[in-house]
Amino acid sequence: MEGFTYVDIFATKGVEYLLVIAALLLFIPFWRMVSRPATAVYEAAESIIPAISEWFHLPERLYYHQGHSWALPEQGDLVRVGIDDFAQKLVGKIDAIQLPPVGSQVTQGEKGWSLRAGSKTIDMLSPVDGKVVGINEGLLKSPENIGKDPYDKSWLLEVQAPKISANLKNLLSGGLARKWMEGVRESLLARMNYNLGAVSQDGGVPVDGIARNVDHEHWDEIVKEFLLTS
Amino acid sequence: MNGADATAINTVEEKRSLKDIIAFILSELKPRGKMLTPFNVISGLTIVLGAFLILYRLAKGLGAVTNLSQDFPWGIWIGFDVMVGVAFAGGAYVLTFVAYVLRTDKYHSIIRATVLNGLLAYVFYAGAIFLDLGRWWNITNPLFGNKFGANSVLFLIAWHFLLYMLAEFVEFSPTIAEWLGLRKVRKFLGSLTIGAVVVGIALSTLHQAGLGALFMMAKGKIHPLWYTEFIPVLFFVSSIFAGLSMVIFEGSISHKVFSDKIDHKDHAAYNGILIGLSRGCAVAMFVYFFAQTLIFIHGWHWSLLNTPMGYWYLTEMIGLVAIPCFLFFRGARYGNIPLIRIAAILTMIGIIINRLNISIIAFKWWIPLSERYIPSWMEIVITLAIIFTEIWVFRWIVTRMPVFEGSPAWAEEKH
Amino acid sequence: MGIDRRTFLKGLGVGVAGIAPACLLSPGSGHAKALPANETTEFMGVLVDTTRCIGCRSCEMACADSHGLEVPDIGDTSVLEKIRPTSEKQWTLVNRFQTEKGEVFVKKQCMHCNQPGCVSACLVKAMEKRKNGAVTWDGNCMGCRFCMVSCPFDIPKFEYDSAVPKIQKCSLCWERLQKGEKPACVEACPNEALTFGTRRSLIEEANKRIYGESGKYVPHIYGEHEVGGTGYLYLSAVPFEQIGFRTDLGTTPYPEFSKGFLYSVPIVLLLWPAFLLGVNTLTSRKDDVRTKQGGAK
Repeated sequence: MEGFTYVDIFATKGVEYLLVIAALLLFIPFWRMVSRPATAVYEAAESIIPAISEWFHLPERLYYHQGHSWALPEQGDLVRVGIDDFAQKLVGKIDAIQLPPVGSQVTQGEKGWSLRAGSKTIDMLSPVDGKVVGINEGLLKSPENIGKDPYDKSWLLEVQAPKISANLKNLLSGGLARKWMEGVRESLLARMNYNLGAVSQDGGVPVDGIARNVDHEHWDEIVKEFLLTS
Repeated sequence: MNGADATAINTVEEKRSLKDIIAFILSELKPRGKMLTPFNVISGLTIVLGAFLILYRLAKGLGAVTNLSQDFPWGIWIGFDVMVGVAFAGGAYVLTFVAYVLRTDKYHSIIRATVLNGLLAYVFYAGAIFLDLGRWWNITNPLFGNKFGANSVLFLIAWHFLLYMLAEFVEFSPTIAEWLGLRKVRKFLGSLTIGAVVVGIALSTLHQAGLGALFMMAKGKIHPLWYTEFIPVLFFVSSIFAGLSMVIFEGSISHKVFSDKIDHKDHAAYNGILIGLSRGCAVAMFVYFFAQTLIFIHGWHWSLLNTPMGYWYLTEMIGLVAIPCFLFFRGARYGNIPLIRIAAILTMIGIIINRLNISIIAFKWWIPLSERYIPSWMEIVITLAIIFTEIWVFRWIVTRMPVFEGSPAWAEEKH
Repeated sequence: MGIDRRTFLKGLGVGVAGIAPACLLSPGSGHAKALPANETTEFMGVLVDTTRCIGCRSCEMACADSHGLEVPDIGDTSVLEKIRPTSEKQWTLVNRFQTEKGEVFVKKQCMHCNQPGCVSACLVKAMEKRKNGAVTWDGNCMGCRFCMVSCPFDIPKFEYDSAVPKIQKCSLCWERLQKGEKPACVEACPNEALTFGTRRSLIEEANKRIYGESGKYVPHIYGEHEVGGTGYLYLSAVPFEQIGFRTDLGTTPYPEFSKGFLYSVPIVLLLWPAFLLGVNTLTSRKDDVRTKQGGAK
């Protein structure tokens, strides 16, 4: 038949196999690159992440509740209680603290006290069971001081906890606490969703709190999520 | 986390009688919100005009309304409404695969809207097929009767469409049960989901590929740069990123229009979702591009590249496949949301061009422009009317049923 | 959420329901099944010898007359100035070609392929290949026009101007064949350009003419192998491209092109659900004893 070009249509030419190999080889770096954020972004995030874990100080001797409150056993069955660095940096400037009155009972895992920032009120969970025998009056008067030293001078309550050993078993400390904090850090980064504007380039923490810079309107919902009081 | 205006229904415990349910549905038919928005006016007029044109078409025949000819038996109702519409509905099977088979929580907030879109797409494009049938009163012949042309690709497509609509409906039915407050029904329907998803994915694979297989016997009529025995595979792979691009596009619109129904957590997570979808598109398009290259090399039609159709082919492959693939890739890596949206739009245009090429433009490409099929304004109006009606139905459902807002507390699913 | 027995059975049930239509597929549907000996019928066909056609167009008249179509005015020879396709009003027609050997007249109509693309395409069996070889159209047609897309010769024509449209094409005068008569066009031809008989005998006759009158014909019977063989066979004195025939159609029957896809349907319907449910089971977290990480969830 005239005008008929012979192409062996069923033969897979050698060059096709070469193309397949080339495609597969190219696919490997493609896959790797598409699965992670770009180096620039990653490095920016990474440079801030160590900063984040440095921000969130976790003194060794404290016991932490997953709602970001801490307990420091003192003599006998007395326990000092406060909020951790993460909680404070998340919420930012605190306008007022509402503490339970002396003599009242607190229960581990239930509402212990609340913080007020702007128009929103955030509850926090108590890390121990017991009777409140002391509150930090100085802090009540100047709640803005809580940021300066959330662990030492900014304690919230003094609690007499008869079941202190049982309570401490439910809390995190040492290596476990570190692991937990890393998980929290990952969650926060995921929440921030590439919106690295929530933290400044030099790694500083915004004064009005990280939460407000992640979601200005619903920042209290974010906080309650992390503090387990939503 | 109930919907904005959850009625008492969601919290009522007592058994609801059929009368209550019907009364409820009737009350829900009342329109809400502003009536005279620009969108409502334009789409409403189009729908009314389209309805008249449809009646005219049914009364007078296809020739009165379309520009179809003996040389071009299929026009935009098949080439666009069905081929493109079904490709864009592919998001449903891809995302249900990811969310239900692979149990990824990430896309949970958009899965219902995507399934709803899939269901509506198939229902309305089945409608488009109905309009395109010359002897539409025989539409049940492939479904009931004793003369099944089971060796026809179209036969399989007809059945798959029907079964897939059922599967999508089953996947969406828990939302309807929640809306009607039917707790036991809701629980039962929830247990059917994984079965419907799995069947839906199998059916989707086949009918996405099947739409391409329709053209296997048009060998010699479709330009060699587009005709290949692998058209079914190409259609299937492209339906993946076509569907995901549509999810990105439609989701971006829905997030703005229905933002009051979406809780802030889902809003915040949305960027992460877009980046994930972008990754999926990038990978699928990478594979598709290399598959097309392989097919080109197999065919070895180098001389054809230097022709007008050749340039058009390169425009499609480079401009509307390779470039959006790269944009998705960059968008995912840098978290660049606007770039991802642009990539999605380019991809969708590429899919439209690809399906139209195979069904109309590269079909009998030797016929001069003056004798080619160009859709009539009536065909276009009817197509738009179908699309607008689908959007109206989507809007009606989304403003009343828990599609964007989470399930009511009593129906919370454990994954 | 792992898979429980109930869900699995439901999934399986839906899956089986999905497979059911595929079971209607007969494997190897591209090939004609062999009939038992006492039922064997041969395909009939028509041999068109273009060297004998004088362009009188009596066949056009006889065809229209025989099937209630609009009878063309065969006196008006001006229509021959253009190459015409068949139409929804004309099942067959004669075209005039100017060739190196002068005027050649070629009758055009449905080729009645051995393995028709239109029959394979028709999802309601409106297009049917009859036992005697005729390819006919029936009224249970849906008007989807897939046959038009699938015909390599672009023969089926659609009545776009009707609200009750039919597909119009040559039926090899099937009703006349039932009565033992010949097709109307063959009867009407005054110059024996058309010969009706079994396909086998027609090929024999065609070969006799080619090798008997050496040099007169191009040594090729068009339709003997094209698209797997057709019922209408053509002889020509000039190369077939010069008289309007496509010579690039190949010898593969058109239904074969859909075979790959059709065969994959039952396999996908079987494998995908099993694979997907398997993956779903493998990723079940019911056995996990991992404690939840602290912080937000």
